[in-house]
Amino acid sequence: MNNEYILEIDGISKQFPGVRALDDVSLKIRPGKVHTLMGENGAGKSTLMKCLFGMYHPDGGHVFFEGREVKFHSAKNALDSGISMIHQELSNVPKRTVSENIWLGREPLNRIGLLDHKKMHTDTLALMKQLEIDIDPGCQMDSLSISKQQSCEIAKAVSYGARIVVMDEPTSSLTETETNHLFRIINDLRSRGVAIIYISHKMSEIFQISDEISVMRDGRMVGSFAASELTEDKLISLMVGRVSRQRFPPSETVPGKIRLRVKGLTAKALNSFKDVSFDLRESEILGIGGLVGAQRTELVEAIFGLRGLSAGVIELNGKEIKIRSTKDAIRNGIAMITEDRRGSGIFPLLSVTTNTAIAALDQFINKFHFLDHGAIRKKARELNDFLRTKTPSMTTQIQNLSGGNQQKVIVSRWLMTLPDILIMDEPTRGIDVGAKYEIYTIMTELARQGKSIIMVSSEMPELIGMSHRIMVLCAGRHTGTIEKEDATQESIMRLAANFS
Amino acid sequence: MGERSIGSGLLSFRKDIFSKYTNLFTFILLVFILAVFTKGRSMQGDSVRNLMIAESVRAFAALGVGMIIISRGIDLSIGYVVCLTASVAASFTQTAGYSGALFPGVQFPFWAPIAAGIAVGGLFGLINGLLVAYAKLPPFIATLGTLSLARGAQLIYTRAAVIGSLKQEFKEISQGNIGPVPNLAIYVAVAAFLVWILLRHTRLGTNFYAIGGNSQAARVSGVNVEADLVKVYLFAGLLYGIAGVLQASRLGLANALTANGMELDAIAAVTVGGVSQSGGVGTVSGMIIGVLIMGIINYGMTYMNIDSYYQLLMKGTIIIVAVFFDMRKHARKL
Repeated sequence: MNNEYILEIDGISKQFPGVRALDDVSLKIRPGKVHTLMGENGAGKSTLMKCLFGMYHPDGGHVFFEGREVKFHSAKNALDSGISMIHQELSNVPKRTVSENIWLGREPLNRIGLLDHKKMHTDTLALMKQLEIDIDPGCQMDSLSISKQQSCEIAKAVSYGARIVVMDEPTSSLTETETNHLFRIINDLRSRGVAIIYISHKMSEIFQISDEISVMRDGRMVGSFAASELTEDKLISLMVGRVSRQRFPPSETVPGKIRLRVKGLTAKALNSFKDVSFDLRESEILGIGGLVGAQRTELVEAIFGLRGLSAGVIELNGKEIKIRSTKDAIRNGIAMITEDRRGSGIFPLLSVTTNTAIAALDQFINKFHFLDHGAIRKKARELNDFLRTKTPSMTTQIQNLSGGNQQKVIVSRWLMTLPDILIMDEPTRGIDVGAKYEIYTIMTELARQGKSIIMVSSEMPELIGMSHRIMVLCAGRHTGTIEKEDATQESIMRLAANFS
Repeated sequence: MGERSIGSGLLSFRKDIFSKYTNLFTFILLVFILAVFTKGRSMQGDSVRNLMIAESVRAFAALGVGMIIISRGIDLSIGYVVCLTASVAASFTQTAGYSGALFPGVQFPFWAPIAAGIAVGGLFGLINGLLVAYAKLPPFIATLGTLSLARGAQLIYTRAAVIGSLKQEFKEISQGNIGPVPNLAIYVAVAAFLVWILLRHTRLGTNFYAIGGNSQAARVSGVNVEADLVKVYLFAGLLYGIAGVLQASRLGLANALTANGMELDAIAAVTVGGVSQSGGVGTVSGMIIGVLIMGIINYGMTYMNIDSYYQLLMKGTIIIVAVFFDMRKHARKL
C-alpha cells in the first residue's frame, strides 16, 4: 500500500465514436493538496472526471482510492465513498431550504420514522460554523447568491465526510470577494487533509491556490508538476502544445465595405448591455469576447430579435432596419446559431431534413401554398453534403448524430435562409477537436464567399485564431476592439476585466 | 429497415412508418380475432357501418386533439365543449310545433345550427389557445378550466334540460348513406384529408411539429410560436364544433351527457395511433387508425356483451400502456 496518494487514476482510456476522448491518462492526487487540472476545452478534463464518477465507463484503466481499487457506478456512489463533485452548474433544489438540500436523500429521522427537522437544522448550523460560512439553514436555496449556493454545496460535500472534492470551474460566476471567500474555504479543507481537484482556466487564481498542476491536451496527460516549478508561459505552451499553429484554417480574406452598423444599442432589460456600437464588414469574422456576465449572448440575441431593445439603431447597408422578432431578422438576411444547441437549436425527434429546412420553408411553397417536399429534400441534402455532415440518412432523427454533426445541420439550416450575416454563439461548444476544425473551415469559406460572421466565443484561442477583429465586452459595456495583429490572451483579458 | 423510407416526406421518418404499420397490423389483428370469436357475424355490412358511424364523431375530436398533442399540448375540455356545441346546434333546429323548444316558434335557416355549433367550438378553441400561448398557462390547467366553463355554459344555456325534437333535415345530415358508405364516414374522410394537407403540406403544419419538438428552437428559426399555438387550439375547437353538430344530428337530441368522456376516447385513440405525448411526433393516418382500434375494441366488447363498466377499465388500461410504450420509444436523449 502506498499512502502517499489518496487517489490514483491509472491508464484510463475512453473512446467515443470518431474520437479518442481519453488516451491512457494517469493522475495521482495527494491528500491535503490542491491539485489543479488544466487544459483547453475538449482536452478531456470533464471526460476524465465523468469516468471517475461512473457517468462514463472507461474502456480501460484502473482507479485506486485510498489504496483500494474502486469502480463507481454513479455520483451518489462516489459521494458515499468520500469523493464529491461541485459542478459548474449548481445542482440544488431551488425551492427548498438550505438544510433540506444538504440532507436530501439521507434526512435524519426521529424515533417514529418522521423527518427530524430540528436535528437537520442544528446539524446544518454546526456544519456552517465549522466551515465559517454565514448562511441561515432555513433560507430557501434560490434566495441565496450563486456564491452562497456554492458554499452550501461544499458544505454538503463536507457533511458526507468527503476526502476528495472536485471543483469544476467554481469561480466562473463569482466576483473577486466571493472568490476569496471560496479560497478561504478551500484552504480550510486543505488543512483538514481533504484533497481538492480544481478545474479552472483562470491563470492568476491557479497559481494562487494550487500545490500541483496537471495539464491535459487532446485526451492525453501532458504531465503533472509542482505549481512552484511552472510559469504562466510554460503552462500555456504545455496546454497548447505544438499543434497550436494548425488548429485554425488559414484565412486570406480581407473585409470589404461596411454591411451592418450598430449604434448605441441598449437592452430593455436592466443590468444588461448598454450603449454598444460596432461595425461589421463584408467577408469579416468579428469575434466577441468577454467573461461570463459580459452580456455577449444578450447582445447578439437582441440583434436577432430574441430580446428587446430600449435604445439604439441598427443599419444594414446604410439603411436603418427594425428588428422586432426573429422573423424580421431572417427577412433582413441575418441568421443565428444559438449557444445552447440542445435547448434552442435542434428538434431532437425530427429528421435531419426537417431540422435543416425549418427556417427556410417559405422558399419551398408552391402556388397552392403547399410545401414542395422534393425540393426541400434535395436542397437539404445538397447543403449537408457541402458541409460534410455525417449521418446514416437524411431521415435519421438529429438526436442520433454527434454534437459536431448536429452543429453542421444547424449551420446548413441557416445557410438555407441565404443570410448575409451569420451570428454564431459559441459555435464549437461541446464539439470534439476534429469537428471543430471543420466548423472553422466552413466559417472561413463563408467569409471568403462574402458573408459576415459575428462569433461569440469564450475560448481565447478560437477568438484569436478566427477573428479579423475582436470586440470585447465587460459587464454589458463595449470596452474595446482589438485588431487581429494585436490580439493576445492578455490584451483581450485586460479589456474583459475592465470593470469601471 | 432499409435506408430509403417508404413514401418518405419531410416528417415521416422510418420509426414513424414502422409504428404506422404496427398500428394497422394491430387493427387488422383485432378485426380478425373478433371475426373468429363471433363466427363472422360481427363483420356483416350493417355491423361495420354501425362501427363507422359510432366512431366518426370521435374521429373529429381525435384529429383536433391529435394536432394539439403534436404541438406538445393537451386538451381536457373536449367532452364538455362537444357537449356544449351539440346543445347550441340542437337549439337552433328544434321543430316548429315543439312547445319545449329553447326558442319556441322561432324558425332558423338550415345552416344556423351548423354555423352556431362550429362557432362555439371555435370560440372555446380560441380561448384555450390564448390561455396556453399568451397567458402561458400549462395546457393541462387551461383546458381543465375551460372544461368547467363549457360545462357551466351548457347547463345554463339548456337549463339542464334535454334539447330534443330536432328537425328531420338536420338529422339527415348524419343519417344518410352514399352507396354503402355512411355520410358520417365521408365527412371524417374529408376532415382527415384536410388535416393531412395541413400537417404534411403546409408551412403551418410543419411549424406545429417544430413547436412540439422544441419551441425554443422554433422561435429562433423564425416561427411565431404564440400565434401558431393559438391556431392549433382554434382548429381543434372548430373540429370539436363539427363533432358536436354531428353528434346532435346523429342522436336527434343533446343533453348534459352528450359526448361525456370524449376527451378520454380521443386522447386514447391518438396515443394508440402513435401521436407522442413528448410532442413533435404523429400522423393523421395514425390518428385515424387509433380511432379504429379503440372503436373495434369498444364494438367487440359490446358485441360480446361485456358490461360497459369493464369497457372503462379497458380504456384506462390501454391509455396507460400506450403512453408507457410511447415514452420509452420517443424518449429524448440527454
